[in-house]
Amino acid sequence: MAEDTSSSPLRAVDGVRTPGIAAALTRFCRSLHDRGLPVSPAESVDAARALQAVDLGDRAEVYFALRAVLTTAPGDIPIFDELFDQLWATGPRHPVTPIPGPRAPTPRARPPSTTAQTVAAATLARWARVADAGTEEPGTWRLPSALETSGPQVFTTFDDAALPDVRRVARRIARRLATRPSRRWRAASRGVRLDLRRTVRHALRTAGDLSVLLYRKRRIRRTKLVVLCDVSGSMDLYARLLLQFLFALQHSFARVETFVFATRLSRITNHLSGREYRQAVEAVSRDVGDWNGGTRIGTSLGRFATEWRRLTDRRTVVIILSDGWDTDEPAAMTEALTTIRRRAGKVIWLNPLLGSPEYQPLTRGMQAALPHLDVFAPAHNLESLDALAQHLLL
Amino acid sequence: MRAEVRRIYDLMEREGYVTDRGIATAVYLAVTLRKPLLVEGHPGVGKTDIAKVLARVLDTELIRLQCYEGLDASTALYEWNYPKQLLHIKLTEGAGHSVAHQEATIFSDDFLLKRPLLQAISCRGRAPVLLIDEIDRSDEEFEAFLLEVLSDFQVSIPELGTVRATETPAVVLTSNRARELSEALRRRCLYVWIDYPSAEKELRIVRTKVPDLDAHLAAQVTGIMQGLRSLSLTKVPGIAETLDWGAALVALHAQHLDQELVRETLGCVLKDEADLRTVEARLDAGELVGVAAGGE
Repeated sequence: MAEDTSSSPLRAVDGVRTPGIAAALTRFCRSLHDRGLPVSPAESVDAARALQAVDLGDRAEVYFALRAVLTTAPGDIPIFDELFDQLWATGPRHPVTPIPGPRAPTPRARPPSTTAQTVAAATLARWARVADAGTEEPGTWRLPSALETSGPQVFTTFDDAALPDVRRVARRIARRLATRPSRRWRAASRGVRLDLRRTVRHALRTAGDLSVLLYRKRRIRRTKLVVLCDVSGSMDLYARLLLQFLFALQHSFARVETFVFATRLSRITNHLSGREYRQAVEAVSRDVGDWNGGTRIGTSLGRFATEWRRLTDRRTVVIILSDGWDTDEPAAMTEALTTIRRRAGKVIWLNPLLGSPEYQPLTRGMQAALPHLDVFAPAHNLESLDALAQHLLL
Repeated sequence: MRAEVRRIYDLMEREGYVTDRGIATAVYLAVTLRKPLLVEGHPGVGKTDIAKVLARVLDTELIRLQCYEGLDASTALYEWNYPKQLLHIKLTEGAGHSVAHQEATIFSDDFLLKRPLLQAISCRGRAPVLLIDEIDRSDEEFEAFLLEVLSDFQVSIPELGTVRATETPAVVLTSNRARELSEALRRRCLYVWIDYPSAEKELRIVRTKVPDLDAHLAAQVTGIMQGLRSLSLTKVPGIAETLDWGAALVALHAQHLDQELVRETLGCVLKDEADLRTVEARLDAGELVGVAAGGE
């Protein structure tokens, strides 16, 4: 670790002239930063100012002061405690209470990802082959044009003739999402409420006569979707139709981000944006070479939670499509979902197996996930996807 | 311990806020470094009280802004008093004032309705304490707007010009972590996490806040509350619930907590039907109360 304190911002702060303290504080801030805490030079200047204000001989006081300045979330505190103990190697240890809601592990703390990247895009290649309408699989069941009369049909028996119906469902969902009124207002020439501010301004021109009434109406709430689809071997039966669904959704609704995962997480939003379903699937199968070696749901979701956190906010609905067969430790699932749910407006898990009456969500992964979900619903046929619309409202 | 921190600690305790060194140090630094204090913790652990006590300690006014979804600048900052403006225009109709004059009049201080943020900034005299309660319930737009206000404590009103704070108010923000706050806002603030209190601290709080509660009963209540928090409940009761329960027991002139009384008054503490059932099952099994009553 660099000992260079001449460039330390702390030199600028009066009082922390003692090179030893400034250097130690700089090192401390750097080590916090390295462990993923949001500590920049601005925070270290604040820390130095805080140290000026407290009793440097009092370990507890220095601890509480630095903790107030340098942490920003409960998950920071265990890391802070550990490094503070190193900074202040002597004296009694401050009792640490465990704090819920752990921050997701920093990239450094993550074990190296598995390199088992077998070429197994065969599955996707197969989907691509059958993507050209229903010609290749003659005799397969064809959907009637109206969804309402189609009756429940398990995805596994669908061919790609179903794509138009999948599209219709996707479009219906998109329409639902696009027309939600928000709690905020915008100016309008016609609307439900008078905009007094603008009306009065206008009235000034006519000597106070309210000749023109101006209104305001509610903004449209902009819901966003993030879809994370499991494409591991166990999902093979359903993944094809789910991918059609993802494709259709991407085309019906502008604010969708799509990811697939088996052992690794891949963003396929751009792949799906092509005009042709077949090309889209080919692009995905070309770039996503990860269809083997089991399912690491916890790791994949954790990766999403840390690396793509900017995609989720209060107005985002996160949809996970998976059967819940996870080879990761349940703790990874719990941690990832806790993080995602705290940022997102809603977390929905769609499990194709839930369509079967005998199915019980007993796998360890599913058990770990259940407490952190807002909605747990089936996704085995078009009807269940259609029912998704009602859950998407925030 | 620095004398000033000790003073804050003592003053907070004297104002009836049972505190600890972590909170006292953070409050002291927030006032000294003039940075907003972000207080996070579970519901009902006394986050809001920090601001109330701070206002009393500093002997100044407390201005509170309760956040909710859809809260916007006009509700938080200022609004013009439109009915008054219209009335004024009507009353001065024949006076032959020019539009410019009319405008200058009705967009003046007299017609301005100051909302909490503007109140805090334009406060004359001693700087107030500004409590921004449950910031996690507002939306991202408002948070960005708030960040702007908190960084320079000035706002510009198109019709009036810029209003700048003469004295920087002490700002306390509270959050239940219903939503993750932006990194920018977090960095702007000093941070305190308030956990559920230890048994000893909770007992101290009960004794301070519900002085009429019998000492033995207070210990029993605290013991049961600590036990309840170790169960995995949907709505974990906070200190506010402990105090409600204590007050209820005082009102009932209770002498001793037995299973029956706990069951009858459980509604003070548990606000979720599934939780009630969980706890009632435990009570039936002779748990929770048994331990506390056994101490007799």
